[in-house]
Amino acid sequence: MFVKFSLVRQAVILAALAILPGTGEAIYFRDKISWRSAILPSELVTVDQARTWGGNVIWVDARPDEEFARDHVSGALSLNEDRWNELLPQFLAVWSPGKQVVVYCSSLSCNASREVARRLRKEAQLSDVFVLEGGWEGWLKKNR
Amino acid sequence: MKQTPNAQLSTSNVQLSGDASTSNIKNRTSNILRRIVDLIVAGIFIYAGAIKALDPVQFASDIDNYKIFPWPISVALAFYLPWLEIFCGFALIVRLLYRGALSILTMLILTFTLVTIAAKVRGLDITCGCFGHASQNWSFPSHLVTNLAILAALVVLWVSNRSPKSLWGRRSASAS
Repeated sequence: MFVKFSLVRQAVILAALAILPGTGEAIYFRDKISWRSAILPSELVTVDQARTWGGNVIWVDARPDEEFARDHVSGALSLNEDRWNELLPQFLAVWSPGKQVVVYCSSLSCNASREVARRLRKEAQLSDVFVLEGGWEGWLKKNR
Repeated sequence: MKQTPNAQLSTSNVQLSGDASTSNIKNRTSNILRRIVDLIVAGIFIYAGAIKALDPVQFASDIDNYKIFPWPISVALAFYLPWLEIFCGFALIVRLLYRGALSILTMLILTFTLVTIAAKVRGLDITCGCFGHASQNWSFPSHLVTNLAILAALVVLWVSNRSPKSLWGRRSASAS
């Protein structure tokens, strides 16, 4: 009985101890992560906003190849995580400084655009990378 | 030639002390092996925790990919779980709160394994995020095998540490 109690007590102490640095880290990273949405509001762009950028935009389709082949935003480049190493050089060949990059995937709930945008910022060191709010579905709604 | 009772007694004493030293060597060897497993398991969890603690944004995204929790819970877990792993890892090394650490790590690895299997069954193609960027290209089988190997090591530690000296070493030892 005591052994069980001791075990639980030890586990509770450890679990409680981990809260302290976790809280500290949450405070430290407060500007780098949003608690409301997986994407920071500053990294999101609506279809209307992206349209105002006109020809200064590179559209990036983060969906799988089959979905891209079926249909995509006119002029969009395919860049998905399945063929990242193969497709990234093709994207970089088209990209130039000052261009805004808008990444989209299927819908509001998909994660692919967020991941591709993150990797473009981190691995390719690009700054003006945005995720399209509503994704491909959002684009279709606005273009019907 | 017959042995006198005294001679027989000394022979059995020699045998006893021989047995005792053999069992001492066995004990020492098993203690060393147990300690090695301790350190390996602790090292794995400290490394995994540290990598994730350095990039909680990425880890929150990895948790969110499993589509189990709402985003705010994923963020909270991303800040909390890495430190829990690190603390438990250190607890195994210094043998403080040892059994508590073992129970938390066992629960964590069981949960990670179940969640990974569930994700596969649901057809989610995701990176596990267990070792941050290092595990980004792991396949499902290699992920599963790693988890099961860690689980096996934890079971070994449970079995071989039935009465370890812990923060409450004396009481826990006497109770078990």
